[in-house]
This record gives sequence, C-alpha cells and structure tokens, in this order.
Amino acid sequence: MAENRKYLPLASTRRLEKLMTRYYFLTRYHRFWGKPLRRPLAWVTSGAPVELLRAFRIHPVYPENYGAICGTRRVSAQLCQVAEAAGYSQDLCSYARSHIGSILRPELAPMGGLPKPDLLVACNNICGTVLKWYEALARIFRVPLLVLDTPFLPGELTESAKSYVLEQLKHMADFLAHFTGRRLDRRELERHMALSKETVNLWKEIRGFCRAKPSPLNAPDLFIHMAPIVVLRGTPQAVHYYRLLRNEVNSRVQQGQGAVPGEKIRLVWDNIAIWYRIFGFFQMFSERGACFVTDTYSGGWVMELTEGDPLESLAATYTEIFLNRSPEFRARQMIELIKDYNADGFVMHSNRSCKPYSLVQEVIRRRVMQETGVPGLVVEADMADQRVFAEEPVRNRVQAFLETLSDI
Amino acid sequence: MLNKYYLGIDIGSLTTKVVLVDDTGAVAARAADRSGYSGRRVAERLVEEILKEKGLDKKDISATVATGYGRVTFPADREISEITCQARGIAHLFPAARTVIDIGGQDSKVIKLLPGGKVADFAMNDKCAAGTGRFLEVMAGALEVRVEDLDDLAAQSGESCPISSICTVFAESEVISHIAAGRQKADIVAGVCASVAARVASLASRTGLEPEVVFTGGVARNKGVVNALAEHLRCRLLVPEEPEVTAALGAALLAGNIKV
Ligand code: SF4
Repeated sequence: MAENRKYLPLASTRRLEKLMTRYYFLTRYHRFWGKPLRRPLAWVTSGAPVELLRAFRIHPVYPENYGAICGTRRVSAQLCQVAEAAGYSQDLCSYARSHIGSILRPELAPMGGLPKPDLLVACNNICGTVLKWYEALARIFRVPLLVLDTPFLPGELTESAKSYVLEQLKHMADFLAHFTGRRLDRRELERHMALSKETVNLWKEIRGFCRAKPSPLNAPDLFIHMAPIVVLRGTPQAVHYYRLLRNEVNSRVQQGQGAVPGEKIRLVWDNIAIWYRIFGFFQMFSERGACFVTDTYSGGWVMELTEGDPLESLAATYTEIFLNRSPEFRARQMIELIKDYNADGFVMHSNRSCKPYSLVQEVIRRRVMQETGVPGLVVEADMADQRVFAEEPVRNRVQAFLETLSDI
Repeated sequence: MLNKYYLGIDIGSLTTKVVLVDDTGAVAARAADRSGYSGRRVAERLVEEILKEKGLDKKDISATVATGYGRVTFPADREISEITCQARGIAHLFPAARTVIDIGGQDSKVIKLLPGGKVADFAMNDKCAAGTGRFLEVMAGALEVRVEDLDDLAAQSGESCPISSICTVFAESEVISHIAAGRQKADIVAGVCASVAARVASLASRTGLEPEVVFTGGVARNKGVVNALAEHLRCRLLVPEEPEVTAALGAALLAGNIKV
C-alpha cells in the first residue's frame, strides 16, 4: 500500500487522481476504441517528442511513469525479480526491470500490466538504457521501434547537432504518416505544441511559487503533481489541471501557508524520487522543519519550446534536456536553484538505477558546495527497487546532515 | 558545591561505549563492552558500574546524550548522530584537527571539521562492510587469528598479498585462496589492512583531506591499518589514546553543552 502523508495536503490531489485514473482507464481499454478511431497506442520514453505523436493522433503510454506507479505501490522488487529470473541484470534500471517483469507476469503487476503497444518510440536524451530496453520490447512484441538519437551536449547545442536531430524528426514524421495513414497536419502539431508550452509555463509558475518563505510545496508534492506533465503534456486536460493547481498554490502563498509547518531549513533535491518511501523518506526531514523547496527532477519538465518551425523547435528542446548535458551545466543549474530559492543545503539521491543522473553527482556536489558554501548530502537508494534501500544508514546520514544545518 | 556530571552513550553495532565527564569536560570515567543482542542493556549495566565506581548516584547526572546505531533505544535526554558527536569529541581532544577518519564496526566515515568542532562535510561508506571493522573481523576469522593480533602480524610482513575484491564475501574467498596457495599469514594480513586503507582513502577523497588528520574508532588501534592508511594518504595520522570512545566523549560534552 502507498504511504500517507504527514503534512498539509493539497485539495487538487483529488482532481489529479481523477485525471490519472481516467488516463489509465482509457489506456487500459484502448483495444475498444483505438482501432475504430484509427489511433494506435505507442509506448514512449519520457523524453520522446510526444507533440509529434499527438499530431498523428497516437495515444502515448509511458512505461517509466508505470515504473513509478510500481514503485509507489511497492511491487517493483517483485517485478524486478521476475525480470532478473528471466536473465535481466540486477544492474539494469528498475523501471526497465519492473516493466519487463510486468510483461512476463501481468498478474503481479498494477492494472494487470500496460496494454500491448502498436509502436515503440525511444529517445536517448535521458539515457542509453532506453535503447536496449526498447529493443527488447520490439523483440517481444514484434512492433516497429522508432529511435531518436540526440547527441550528448558537452557545451551548447550546435547547428550540426540540431540538424542531425531535425533530419530524424522528418523521417519519423514520414514513417508516422505511413504508419497511421494520416498526413502530418502542421496546424495540429502547432496546436499540441502550444498546449505543451502552456503546460510547461504553468508548471514553471507553480514551481516558482516555492521561492516564498515558507514554501507552499514540498518535494513529494512536486513528484506527485508532475504526473500530468509527463503523460498528458500537449493536451487540454493537462493545461486545465495545472491552472487549478496554480490557483491553489498561489492562494497558499497569499495566505503565507507552508507545506512543512514551522519551516526552518530549505533544501534542494537532486534525482528521481524514492517512490516506495515517498512520504516516509521526506518525513525524516519535515519532522525537523526541513522542506525541499525545489528539485532538479520535476524541474526537468520545464523545457521551453522555442518559437519558429515546429520540428526545429522540437529538435532543440528535446536535445537540450538536462540529462543530456555536461556536469558543468548541471552544477550551474544546481547553484542557480540554491541561490534562487534561498536554500540552506541540498540532498542528492544517488540512484542505483539511473546512471546518467547519478554518476556525476559527486563532482557536482563538490563544485556546488565550493561555490555556494552550503552543504550537500548524498543518500544511496533506488527509485523503485526497495531492496536497495537501507533504512538505518539513511536515517543516520540524514540526521547528521540536518544537525550540521541546525547548530547543535 | 557539588560537581555536575554528563553522560555520553555510544551504542555501536559491535561495541557500546559510555563516558562520564564533569562540567569542565574532563573525563571522570569510561567503560566499554560488546553490544551483543541488546546494546541498550549493556549501556545500562555500564552506566551502573561507572556510577558505582565513582560513588555517584543517577541524580548526579545532569544530562545524557545517546549516539550510535542504538541511540534511539536508550532513554537519553537527546539523541545525536555519531557524526556530530565524533566531531565534538575530536575537537575537544585535538583542537587543530580538521579531518576525522573513523572506522567503526559497521561503517567508516570521514568528517571534515571547522574550527570549534562544527561539521563542514562528511562521507560514509556505501551500504557495504568493505573498509570497516566487520571486514577485519571476517578476515581474521578466515585466517584463524584474533583481531587484536592482526596488528603484530602485519608488522612481520615482508611482501603483502594484494586483496582486490571490495566485497567482504569475495575478499574472504580471496584470503582463503591465498592461504591455500601457501602464502604467509603475515603477508595476507598486510594485504587485508591495505585493502581497508584503500577503501577509506577513496572515501576521504570525497570530502578532501586537510591536516591535522585524526584516526578514531576501534580499528585505529590496529597499527597495520594505521600505517597502511598513513602511507596511502601520505600524511600523518593522530590517534587518540582511546580511539573507540571519542564519539561517546563528544556525546557527553554535547550533553553538558561544553564548548570547545
Ligand atoms: S536509467 Fe534513468 S533515465 Fe534511463 S529510464 Fe532508467 S530512470 Fe529513466
């Protein structure tokens, strides 16, 4: 079972639950409406250019979001074991293992697993893992796999990198036209991009409210309420939902209401949430008056789509995703968050699953500490596989870290 | 006027340590024993013994701070993490200390200190027994020697056997294969000490190493590890007279709010 929160709840959460239930309900019964409406179902990575797929009326489903659901419901470890028994390495990302486990043993999986895909779309802007993961899926389901290869950016986006990605997007559009039997409707694409843009702007605005002291939101709020920007980005429902959330968060700020009562310490979070301990983990902080006012993870979805040619804009935006960028870029991002949100320290989740996110953290930690003078803590865990979580050592480090911040 | 006393209790994974200080911060008494099944009971017994020895009563103790893994089990006035306690204890004994390397039973840590004993940064071993007292115990077991004797044995080594595996279980089988290959016990022990040192040195590289460097925890009694570590880090290591009680001392000082 999922855990309960121990601090100020958001009224919007009910609406969020409804929205997500509806999305997963539609997804689950896609087989009844997908064919007649000529709307294929695609499994896509979180960093895939979903606006293009939506323009072709494809229904996107996110195995990574599903992995987070498995984590929150604490069934990941079991599903991972299924995948491990089938030969997948324990070192493989636990979203991939949970998802593959859910395909092999749907009876163990939430919602009986995800409905079968007609198409797979993977973009390696988040990691290289998704390539092999989706190749395995393509072999299992024998459906086409589209790969968008976004070159890693050691510095700024170059013209050649951009045109390389743009070329692929054009090919992708041609393939999708053929696959769906629809033509690429530029107006449709622009409409979805405008909706995406609006969603992103709202999310940015909501996150910005947390500069207030006390902060109206704590990290678990951000993690839970980011779901629509991941799976419904580019739809009117997402825009509608975030307007609602914006109003609620805004009114918290107006009333000086903080997420953590008696906020004393302000922290920044780095890396994916620890889903199976989403409230318990942060309670170790909130019970000592520490609030996570912002994070790099849910902030990853504040990716602004530039004006101009829609495909060019997609090429730039999806290549510039922070996980596809240098440690220098990420250190700078962290430093800015600390200054901008007036944070007293930062906590990095060294996530066994997610190598691109975690491997460079120690380098970033040192640089950020040097430049900002605030302390940073590294906590070792995994986002979904709870077998990796060692309660006592984690508690010990967290306590020591908070003691350094509270003048014992 | 009666003296005030403060108690620091460190319930570690392997041993429990108790330190009593007076209001000047001077150590009045100390005791230690294996934590066993219930560290809390061991702590209570040690406290009783100390009080008896000093002719004191429970109410002579003004405040108690508990630390270590069992800290929440002991009914103290406050529980404080061993990192904060260790830092305070070391700053008291060695005001010039800027780095503490602590190797305890189940974990090893490196603490960077600010003047006055405040913690600037720290790093702890990953969830793994490599580079800890437990690692040494397992290896001593495989070699059929007492942990206390590792010290002398390491000193006799001519050429240490490298232990490459970090995993305690794999390292143990490496030790066993060295034994099977007829290598000298002393050389294997030296290799084991070097392995602990290498592990802890990599931990120290996360926080950086600033002199003076103080080495604490039960393992600091082992000269084999001390020498291997000093060599690895290329710096002088200060070892307190009783390296395993410094966190308990810090806890007692924190109980009395006795500043450095
Ligand atoms: S490795 Fe990281 S970025 Fe890649 S799918 Fe797993 S969690 Fe996502």
